[in-house]
Amino acid sequence: MINDASVLKQPTYYEEVERKGYSRRDFMKFVSMITAFMGLEKSAIGQVAKALETKPRIPVIWLHFQECTCCSESFIRSSHPIVADILLDKISLDYTETLMAASGTQAEEALKNTMTKYKGQYILCVEGSVPLAADGVYCMIGGKTSIQILEEAAEGAAAIIAWGSCASNGCVQSAKPNPTKATPIHKLVSGKPVIKVPGCPPIGEVMAGVIVHYLAFGKIPELDRLGRPKAFYSKRVHDSCYRRPFYDAGLFVETFDDENAKKGYCLYKVGCKGPSTYNACGVMKWNNGTSYPIQSGHPCIGCSEENYWDNGRMYERASAFPGFGIEANADTLGKIALGATAVAIAGHAIATNIGKHTTIHNLEEEGKESEHELNV
Amino acid sequence: MSKKLHIQKLRRVYVWELPVRMYHWLNVLVLIALVVTGFYMSNPLAILSKKEAVNSYTMGWFRYIHFAAAYLFFFNFLFRLYWGFTGNKYANWKQFIPISRRFLKEMWIVFKIDILMMKGKNGKSEHLSVGHNAMAGFIYFLTFIVFLIQCLTGFGLYAPMASWWFPKLFAWVPAVFGGDILTRVIHHWAMWFFILFAIVHVYLVFYHDYIEGRGEISSMGGGWKFIEDDVFEKNKHTTPNPESAK
Amino acid sequence: MSKRIVVDPITRIEGHLRVEADIENGKIKDAYSSGTMIRLLEEILKGRDPRDAWAFVGRVCGVCTSIHSLTSVRCVEDALDIVIPPNAELVRNIMFCTQYIHDHVVHFYHLHAMDWVDVVNALKADPKKTSELAQSISKWPKSSPGYFSDIQTRIKKFVESGQLGIFANGYWGHPAYKLPAEVNLIGLAHYLEALEWQKEIVKVHAIFGGKNPHPNYLVGGMACAISIDDVSGINAERLAYVGQLLKDGKEFIEQVYIPDLMAVASFYKEWASIGGGLGNYLVYGDLPTNGYRDLSHYKFPAGAILNKDVSKVYDVDLKKEEEVQEFVTHSWYEYKEGNDKGLHPWKGESKIKYTGPKPPFDHLDTSKEYSYLKTPRWKGNAMEVGPLARVLVGYARGREDFKAVVDKALKDLNVPITALFSTLGRTAARGLETILTAQWGLEFYDQLMTNIKNGDTRMAEMSKFDPATWPKTALGVGHTEAPRGALAHWINIEDQKIANYQLVVPTTWNASPRDNKGQMSAYEAALIDTPVANETQPLEILRTIHSFDPCMACSVH
Ligand code: HEM
Ligand code: HEM
Ligand code: NFV
Ligand code: SF4
Ligand code: SF4
Ligand code: F3S
Ligand SMILES: [Mg+2]
Repeated sequence: MINDASVLKQPTYYEEVERKGYSRRDFMKFVSMITAFMGLEKSAIGQVAKALETKPRIPVIWLHFQECTCCSESFIRSSHPIVADILLDKISLDYTETLMAASGTQAEEALKNTMTKYKGQYILCVEGSVPLAADGVYCMIGGKTSIQILEEAAEGAAAIIAWGSCASNGCVQSAKPNPTKATPIHKLVSGKPVIKVPGCPPIGEVMAGVIVHYLAFGKIPELDRLGRPKAFYSKRVHDSCYRRPFYDAGLFVETFDDENAKKGYCLYKVGCKGPSTYNACGVMKWNNGTSYPIQSGHPCIGCSEENYWDNGRMYERASAFPGFGIEANADTLGKIALGATAVAIAGHAIATNIGKHTTIHNLEEEGKESEHELNV
Repeated sequence: MSKKLHIQKLRRVYVWELPVRMYHWLNVLVLIALVVTGFYMSNPLAILSKKEAVNSYTMGWFRYIHFAAAYLFFFNFLFRLYWGFTGNKYANWKQFIPISRRFLKEMWIVFKIDILMMKGKNGKSEHLSVGHNAMAGFIYFLTFIVFLIQCLTGFGLYAPMASWWFPKLFAWVPAVFGGDILTRVIHHWAMWFFILFAIVHVYLVFYHDYIEGRGEISSMGGGWKFIEDDVFEKNKHTTPNPESAK
Repeated sequence: MSKRIVVDPITRIEGHLRVEADIENGKIKDAYSSGTMIRLLEEILKGRDPRDAWAFVGRVCGVCTSIHSLTSVRCVEDALDIVIPPNAELVRNIMFCTQYIHDHVVHFYHLHAMDWVDVVNALKADPKKTSELAQSISKWPKSSPGYFSDIQTRIKKFVESGQLGIFANGYWGHPAYKLPAEVNLIGLAHYLEALEWQKEIVKVHAIFGGKNPHPNYLVGGMACAISIDDVSGINAERLAYVGQLLKDGKEFIEQVYIPDLMAVASFYKEWASIGGGLGNYLVYGDLPTNGYRDLSHYKFPAGAILNKDVSKVYDVDLKKEEEVQEFVTHSWYEYKEGNDKGLHPWKGESKIKYTGPKPPFDHLDTSKEYSYLKTPRWKGNAMEVGPLARVLVGYARGREDFKAVVDKALKDLNVPITALFSTLGRTAARGLETILTAQWGLEFYDQLMTNIKNGDTRMAEMSKFDPATWPKTALGVGHTEAPRGALAHWINIEDQKIANYQLVVPTTWNASPRDNKGQMSAYEAALIDTPVANETQPLEILRTIHSFDPCMACSVH
């Protein structure tokens, strides 16, 4: 299980020895003994000592499936910590097709090594979705399908991180009609915690933050009901949007580059999905706090929400009903139904006066009769 | 007039108790508020105002009214459910749920006579019921389900903004739909059900008043209906209505 | 007898590329390039709102992020006859230049360098000598002996930990590595430095498009309103920020990237006669200075060159049915009227049909269909696209700015112009065009400032944004020069919806399988005759393939 994050918490041999009150000399004695025991040459003593002194960095395998690699790109945009420090000091990124030196068989070997040597201890990061149609042939690496690779790698993982919207909700390739049956990771693995880090892509510092959380606190971050770290996904973009006062005041951009756009009014009416989107954009912003979509004048498109590609036209507020054509937003159909109802009612009223003529006539007669009787 | 009219003796029956009437009109009011504010929230009017944001709070007010009305709506609805077990026969939950064959049969008769405009037995329209008829009851049942959907999705959307524990109970709702976007779409669509229901409902109330002459419209005001003597007799001790059982 | 070797995955690229090569007498005799992942965005786009298309196709690629979005809005604007305001054009140009600066630097250091730089060997370097060398080629301040020895210590510790991470299993010590230890150390130091630097320049995208990767675009212009008197718009602070970033970017290109590139190139001159390949080059052109429609005023001129003949540049017309066509003879697709016919993208089809072996497999049947890439052809010719094509067309069109950077580089390296037709030439051309785009970026910036000063603050033309104003049907094509080469999107709009949308992408041109006539595309052609010293360590294959900067997510989409 993840909580004993064994690799992290394990003290190095040297720390262990030191804690027990032995001196550096004792430690070196132990090293030479062990070196001899392992059948190594004397010159290897220094190396063995080093290895025992340094804490192993947590091994990370980063798989790439149906993706655009912008999650990797976003990851290297992280400014705190910067990625060079993550790679050199914090984790051991043993496999990632985007950055690793080895290719082909050597790359596959590196993957296998980590999977066996650190079984149950490595973090598995997945970028991209897995296509299930046609037995998985829509994504193949080294002659294997992505689903085969995922299943193998997931088995020995301590925890799985699903990077970006692709891995956590299928993203653009799973938009209707989802021709390759692109499937997010949590639907394919079981018995392992899956941390979803949605967003297309997620903010670089959020990605680094998720990893650093794991390293610093030795456990996976607390997740919400959808499996997203609460630290970054508990608030809607709308809740921390600096244009919110305009929303509350009812002041809206009516069209791009209009007078209201220049005043920075709320983008709700040009389609902003901020009110239904959980992400840290308004607080952390992008690219080390430079800006975020709304600040640059464009509405939030809801890029961290499930199915955000299939929620009707991007620049319209009104909600389209999934499954209908793009123009069938709720209010258009509603108005059509309203018209139909009015026609039906009018029709029914007319039919009533004809069909129930006798009944109505009798009632009227009855009423008139009573009126008449009273007049007498 | 050659044919002699059959003059019915009418019995005054206290159908809608005060709590039901209060429930009904409060419901009408808050629903109007919810629909109006809901429309505004989904597509606010263009106000090319020169005002500063600090000096107005239009959307804020609409939302405030929506949420306030939503609370009233919810508790009013809860109360009505409770009254379904405590109130009189016409308010009872059995009037809404088609569990017996008799209920279904009556629905069929209402369908034939009121919607297909067919003639009843002996060529006359049959006014079987005292409270609402089985068809109406069933439609109200559907309405209650949509009430429920609206409360679930509404409070689900509200949960993350709420500080009280109660709305937070609904935080699981958007999770079921994969997020707020779809939840909101459903909430929006369900609104149209109310609008259409209300129009048809009001029409039918007038229709029944016109066709049956039992004071249907005023019944939601004073609580009384005027029931023909024979119908009155047949309705004793039975729910929903005896005629259709035969 | 030749031997078939397989390199899959090819790493340090975007996406999923597989190369199978037949080796005979230490050289590649035949080669096959296969893209093995598909998402079918062209099918997903059908029936959607044309104004939303940029967001969908933007997600084709996060490495050349923004470029598909740019192409998409241009293609819709072409169909709907929308002319965007000059400021929007300038902002798009500035974002374009930013994208080049970023993408090319990341390619050089993080995707390509380890083909030339031996990381482990850098540990043997003398920091003092390294510092002297660094100072002799550039005035970049971070070049003290202490700086290099700190890096060395850090990497030493890293290597000794036994956990080599991304450097694990590299081809360290391979005989094809030729750099002195000191140059290796400079390369390694700048690998780390560039990794930190690259996150800065993209802030230009964040300012105009809200974020990077995947900044926002808008049909009709850009969404970032200019509002010099409001904190929410593009104001003096935002503009100053952009100016600073562009200046810093140019500095890094001139003081780090180019000196490193030249230093490395000078040790690998034999690669100036390897990996040339097709000798046909295609450029659609970009960076308009007088509106997108005036092709004669592009910073990157358009044109085609055939058979390395730079004395003749042909014009290109993307709307002509017979010019650009896509074939699927060796691809996993199915055309309605048979797989031997080429289709112009306005009539393009994307019906998938996998016929390859059942995974797991060892080899593809390269005599049949073997890739998810379609095979684009220009007037029936296989064409190479990308930095080399752009630099050659600029040079062949007699443009002084191109001549200046090319001639200087050739002189510094002491090689003839024919050296450009090679793996090394491709890698060098990428650097040379980065010098130009870094300069142009600042020019566009100055023009933007002048426009605003003169009172023009328009950023979007919205009169045709409402679908009700559109014709019942419309055809459009939008083109650009993506970092990896000529890119265009074709759209058919019917009843306000996308009836067909086709992308023909740079890496599709370069990495595609053979066509109906059996002609190779650029990757395959360039690999022919490449020496392979050690069949189990295909370093040379990586060099040539990486010189194209493959992007497979783009190529298949
Ligand atoms: C039963 C009748 C109701 C109707 C007709 C109604 C209608 C609407 C409509 C049309 C919207 C705008 C949806 C959109 O953006 O397209 C809305 C939003 C909303 N409604 Fe309701 N609603 C009802 C009940 C409720 C209830 C019971 C709640 C419970 C709290 C609720 C809470 C909300 C919330 C939280 C929003 C989102 C507002 C925002 O985020 O600014 N609604 N409603
Ligand atoms: C002027 C307007 C209205 C009048 C005169 C009116 C009248 C009535 C009457 C007479 C009944 C008893 C039905 C029966 O006998 O079958 C009734 C029931 C009901 N009405 Fe209305 N109504 C009005 C508007 C509305 C509106 C706008 C709604 C809600 C959208 C509504 C919701 C209901 C419901 C849910 C019941 C079932 C009551 C129960 O048994 O608890 N009514 N109404
Ligand atoms: N090929 C390609 Fe791209 C580029 N440059 C785009 O059009 O990389 Ni992702
Ligand atoms: S989630 Fe978005 S950003 Fe990440 S790989 Fe997928 S498409 Fe690219
Ligand atoms: S711009 Fe979007 S997120 Fe910001 S307040 Fe308006 S609707 Fe909310
Ligand atoms: S579009 Fe995505 S980047 Fe943030 S503001 Fe919206 S979640
Ligand atoms: Mg295509």
